[in-house]
Amino acid sequence: MPGGIDFLVMGLSHRTAPLAVRERLAVAPEQMSGAIQQLGSLPEVREVAVLSTCNRVEVYAVSPDLDAAIVALQRDFAARAGTTEAELTPHLYVRVDVEAVHHLFRVASSLDSLMVGEPQILGQVKQAHDSALAARAVGPVLGACFSGAFRIARRIRRETEIARNSVSISSVAIEYARRIFDGFEGRTVLLIGAGKMADLAGRALGGQGARLLVTNRTPARADELARRVGGTTVPFEGLEGALVDADIVISSTGARQPILTRELLLRIRKRRRGRPLFLVDIAVPRDVEPGCGDISGIFVVDIDDLQKLANEHREERRGEADRAEVMVEQEVARFLEAYRGRRVGPVITALRSRVLDLARGEAERGLLRELAHLAERDRQAVLGIAEAIAKKVLHGPQVALKKGGADAVEGAALIAAVQRLFELPVGEEHPRGAGMDSNQGEDANGAPEAARPPQSAQGVGVAPSLDAAEAAEVAATASGGHVAGVVGNLLSRQGGKP
Amino acid sequence: MTTLTTVEILAYAFASAFFLGNLFSPHPAAAKAGRVALALGVLAQIVDIGARCLAAQNPVSSTPEAVAFVGFLVASGYLLATLRYHLTAAGAFAVPAALILLLLGRGVPAEPDAPRMGALGRTHVFLATLGVAVFALAAVLAVLYLVQERRLKRKQFGRAFDLSTDEAPLALLDRLALRCVSVGFPIFTVALVTGAVWIGRLGGVSSAEAHRPEYFFAMAAWLAFGVLLVARLGAGWQGRRAAWLTLGGFGGTLLVLIAYILRYAA
Repeated sequence: MPGGIDFLVMGLSHRTAPLAVRERLAVAPEQMSGAIQQLGSLPEVREVAVLSTCNRVEVYAVSPDLDAAIVALQRDFAARAGTTEAELTPHLYVRVDVEAVHHLFRVASSLDSLMVGEPQILGQVKQAHDSALAARAVGPVLGACFSGAFRIARRIRRETEIARNSVSISSVAIEYARRIFDGFEGRTVLLIGAGKMADLAGRALGGQGARLLVTNRTPARADELARRVGGTTVPFEGLEGALVDADIVISSTGARQPILTRELLLRIRKRRRGRPLFLVDIAVPRDVEPGCGDISGIFVVDIDDLQKLANEHREERRGEADRAEVMVEQEVARFLEAYRGRRVGPVITALRSRVLDLARGEAERGLLRELAHLAERDRQAVLGIAEAIAKKVLHGPQVALKKGGADAVEGAALIAAVQRLFELPVGEEHPRGAGMDSNQGEDANGAPEAARPPQSAQGVGVAPSLDAAEAAEVAATASGGHVAGVVGNLLSRQGGKP
Repeated sequence: MTTLTTVEILAYAFASAFFLGNLFSPHPAAAKAGRVALALGVLAQIVDIGARCLAAQNPVSSTPEAVAFVGFLVASGYLLATLRYHLTAAGAFAVPAALILLLLGRGVPAEPDAPRMGALGRTHVFLATLGVAVFALAAVLAVLYLVQERRLKRKQFGRAFDLSTDEAPLALLDRLALRCVSVGFPIFTVALVTGAVWIGRLGGVSSAEAHRPEYFFAMAAWLAFGVLLVARLGAGWQGRRAAWLTLGGFGGTLLVLIAYILRYAA
């Protein structure tokens, strides 16, 4: 069902691409701003946000010409991955319009995650939204879609059990280690890099009697983590020696190239005299060179393996996920209704304003001239008649717009016709960041409306001659009275490119 | 075939079915049923062995008796080990192995050749039987090690190797296998020495007998286990290589048994 939303998502995830492909496209936090700027500068793209996690790399974009945007983004993806489009395309998925909204809602709600119900994804989607906001790349459509996504994600976490009994990847890593080692007492665990999981797993293993070594390219960060988990810092130059001593290595650096290479592991294996070594690689891009798991006595698990294992524990949450899927469907329908209402709303407002102003204007002109002799009561009666006629005339088009707005194609045709027939203004420009958030005073991060960056707090007035109350009434009527609080967020489809 | 023999074969067969079934579709009830059936089989075999001893058919009186006794040692050794360690998956290898040995031993009619053996001969057969049984347990652990390692490396965790089931870790399998070989090796060594002395007392080996394959297999197995022990204790060998060498050594002892059975049947 087309929704008439110029919104698309293109990306690859654990479902479509192996880690080896995903890691080539991963966008590090420090590169995010540059990536958004670059994507935003594509002529086909009007609004853009980039979501890069260990499971997925996705670009959410708004474009008046979705087909052209898809072609441009495909080219950009291939260039980023350093490969050809033909090679990359089988891994890419593209969703447009309502499907894209549905996808974003599912992603934010952790329904598309490898570990369904995992709590990190919502924070990552918020981060993607915030980065795009900071780069001034969020406009009304993107803003609305993300707001909707945050709302459904929060609702699902609140109303379903999906996040309960979630098996963390650090606990799965420890379970895996239990399959190799006979207890952790006296084992040596080496933490390379400082991530949340290294912290968690380190503490858990330390609590079971393991000796913890911590190393990092930045000594201060190693010291900090060592202090937190009660470990010993090893200089990064001493990595090879530490690898000889270690039984378990948890690596989570942000390095673009593998730091645990095959050559290094073959070298240390000799010095380890056959002792098994368990490498937990939770970095994307990976820290352990692919293929090292084939080396005898060396066990390697990466983020995909851990999440797949964790998933095997989640059968009991299947029913909750099904419930959540239904909620997502409902929320998408609600969103669409509100979105279309908002699209038709400004046109109805403009139409009413145009016809009522005309009727009032003509009646007032007559009252000043030919009917200047009338008493005040009669003058009011004349004005009332003019307004009543105008409203009768408006009734048909208004009803048609409200009904037709539910269908994207018919709605667009009707809007165009009404705009032309009644000489309504077309293509209102509105500043970037004008959201259509119906969160009623709370943004995605739960911050009050007033605390938002200025660019997201601006309203768009399509019909300046109407007052706020009237606009609200029209908008609420247009969306079937379902969405209140859209004052100042009236949306026209012609968003401005920054 | 006596009733007792039938009971023990049936009990081992049921236990094998339960353990194998548990491997493909793990269930605590299946593992428990397997252990109960196995315990029943072991008990029946103890009574059976006692009865046979009274009938002058003790475990070392003939090759078939010795082979059936190896089966008993494997079954009871495994049963004892499960009391201390989580080794349910190993049951799928150990119990069918015990069943096969029992069938081999009881399938061939036992004609006691005790009069020819004497005390030295009986000592040799007993020690060799014990050594082979301990090596068989080591081999079961080695197989389990290799299967588990392969699954861990390939990240296949369905069934009995699911992470949620409580199975013995690789390090424990490796350590127990080493312990078995460390115990079995001296026993097997003494068995070889007593065997050589016994043959010497019987008048030495004729030139035709000197090329019997079992002598070669026995020496090869002894060498394999010797190298394994030196490599493990001296050079710290662990894991896959040690497991393969254990299987190699056990393969040698198995060939000795097969050669004896074939000769006996002929």
